[in-house]
Amino acid sequence: MKMTKRLFGIFTIPAAVLIVVLAVSRIQGVALFATEGNWVSFFRSVANVMLVTLALSINLNSGRFDFSIGSVALLSSVISATISIQYQLPVGIMLLLSVVLGAVFGFLSGLVYVIVKLPPIIVGLAMALFYEGLAFAVTGGYGVSFVNNTELVGFPSVRNYSLIIVAALAAVILIFDYTKFGYNYKALLSGQKVSVHIGIREIPNTLICYGIAGALMGAQGFITATNTGTIQMTLNFGSIGAMFAAFLPMFIGGYIGRYINDKIGCLLGAVSMGLVSLAYVRMDVDSSVQQIISALLLVCFLIFLNNEQKFKNLVKQGR
Amino acid sequence: MKKWRRLTAFLLTAAMVLMMACTVMAEAPEMDESETVKIGVLVSDTTSAEALAFRAYYEEYIQNQYNVNFMYSDELKDSAGEASAIDNFIANNCKAVISLSSFDRPAQIAQCSGAGVYYAVATGTLTDEEYEAAKTNEYYVGAIGPDLMTEYQTGYDMAKYFLDEGKTKFAIFGGAIPYYTDMHIYRAAGMLAAMCDVGEGSYKDATGMDIIGKIYEDGAVETGAIGNVEVVGYVGGYDMDDAWFGKCGEMAQTEGLEVILAVGNGSDFFGAAKGEGVQIASVDAYADSYKEAMEAGTLNYLAGKFSASIGPIFMATYSAVKGYPIRDAEGNALALSQGYWVADSAETFNTYYAVDSSKEEPAYTKEMLDGLFGSSYDDFAAFVSAYTFDEIQGLK
Repeated sequence: MKMTKRLFGIFTIPAAVLIVVLAVSRIQGVALFATEGNWVSFFRSVANVMLVTLALSINLNSGRFDFSIGSVALLSSVISATISIQYQLPVGIMLLLSVVLGAVFGFLSGLVYVIVKLPPIIVGLAMALFYEGLAFAVTGGYGVSFVNNTELVGFPSVRNYSLIIVAALAAVILIFDYTKFGYNYKALLSGQKVSVHIGIREIPNTLICYGIAGALMGAQGFITATNTGTIQMTLNFGSIGAMFAAFLPMFIGGYIGRYINDKIGCLLGAVSMGLVSLAYVRMDVDSSVQQIISALLLVCFLIFLNNEQKFKNLVKQGR
Repeated sequence: MKKWRRLTAFLLTAAMVLMMACTVMAEAPEMDESETVKIGVLVSDTTSAEALAFRAYYEEYIQNQYNVNFMYSDELKDSAGEASAIDNFIANNCKAVISLSSFDRPAQIAQCSGAGVYYAVATGTLTDEEYEAAKTNEYYVGAIGPDLMTEYQTGYDMAKYFLDEGKTKFAIFGGAIPYYTDMHIYRAAGMLAAMCDVGEGSYKDATGMDIIGKIYEDGAVETGAIGNVEVVGYVGGYDMDDAWFGKCGEMAQTEGLEVILAVGNGSDFFGAAKGEGVQIASVDAYADSYKEAMEAGTLNYLAGKFSASIGPIFMATYSAVKGYPIRDAEGNALALSQGYWVADSAETFNTYYAVDSSKEEPAYTKEMLDGLFGSSYDDFAAFVSAYTFDEIQGLK
């Protein structure tokens, strides 16, 4: 593939989003990045969306729709925050704890899936209820508050969010593109039966996938918790909403992934959504309007993906 | 003749004794606790500090003091859920339903009365039209909670507190205003009305209670100057997504902002407002997270419901189940307003919180509630209207 075509494929969507967002904000007379707080907000959004997108896509690419990832983020952040407050641990340890606990809870979700052999959607829903209930029980329903802990609530910054983005992305690329596990994962994606016949062990691969997705959600839970200094409880599938923000960036990531590493595609998808999110903030867009715009963007992009060749033909005919 | 006199005297004395006995019985009806009374509790919120505190009071105090068993619904999301939960209560032989869910109260009342189950509203009130329709229904016990005027006054007092301190730059967190939740709209209107009074201006050409209509028109609060006071920021809703948190952060960091007035749970601003020197005021409940925030100086004012505030409505319901309904002279059900405890310092907060979170000696103890069993409407109303911390402590 030609370099220009690759660059075009990689940067068209984020660049187009940036141009549109800048143009609209200029018309509205609003500067997109007016304060440091705007930068922090943008990077937090990118980090959040990228982590959820990666966590969701790891299993979804293999046909496993895991509804429990939001509850994994909730439970891991609740336990890590509780331990960190009790033992006055530094913020780095809380992040590490959250990631490790997320990996454990993700692994457990996977274990239940491979043991009970029910459809992953059902197992995901069951685990979501279980983890939400567990988080509720651990805190007595009162959630966790650490507003007095200046170190923990002082975490949000462009530098810290950038570090998380880079570390998570590097780890995921390393694991999925440069290890035997990653090769097996890709082999299973392209042909499950054949891969199993040639000796690739599907169950351990699945469990590790769930574990990695959980670790990513542990980091996401940590970001959400340190943003407000409080973790509020949710029940009855309230944690599921977290994953819906990841669909559009996941599809964008998949498209960009044709031209570059698909994980970087997810990052660029998250950057695009981060820009849109910041535009909502800066232009004070009503939440109902936000939902309409986000839904339209998703539908339009899916229409484009499903009719890509037709669009290309139309462009060729136009020439 | 003497015989007749004696007989007459005897009959008169007997009649007087009988009347006295009846009077004594009427004044102090006997509380028969031989049978366990099952009471269903409808809840639309199971995770907020307020909901948890209410539940703890019923399950960890009231249930230990009286022969009652509370059966809670799951978190309800609509009126269909309420109907299903009430069906479940009826099937489980609940004698009464106490509702903390308000999707469709007339339907709840109709369903309960149709099944011969008593129904009461806790921490809320019916609209005037709803009350007119239900007040003589024998199964409708009544409602106790902050009425909309109390909500308006709560918002007014909150803003006035900071205006009196000389603050002029405010931001308002509108909570459920975009969803047209009455109590949040009234609280916000009260805040703006106080700003109009002190700032000597108007909000969209309206002052006082006329502001309520302006908020209903927009489903939001408009930023801008109100005389020499200014609303510099506004965020509504509970979207909890990146854009919403971004808006909260942006609002908390608005240049010159002095105070964030939250019509509902304001804890999501604690992190965003840190280090900005911004004061926060909130309407919610006395909970551990607010205690920490008060002690840290992050939260500066709380108008909070106290968990035992749902004690009187329990006793009214229990009394009705036991055959002693509390009605006014016209036979109408209870319709009483009850306000908030206001803390403006960590010391006050901790004093209130110690009582509110106590499971041994809560704000309303068994001894106090027993006095309401089968009481007159006026006595009951007088008890409920003395809701401030000092008034309640004075009753002990």
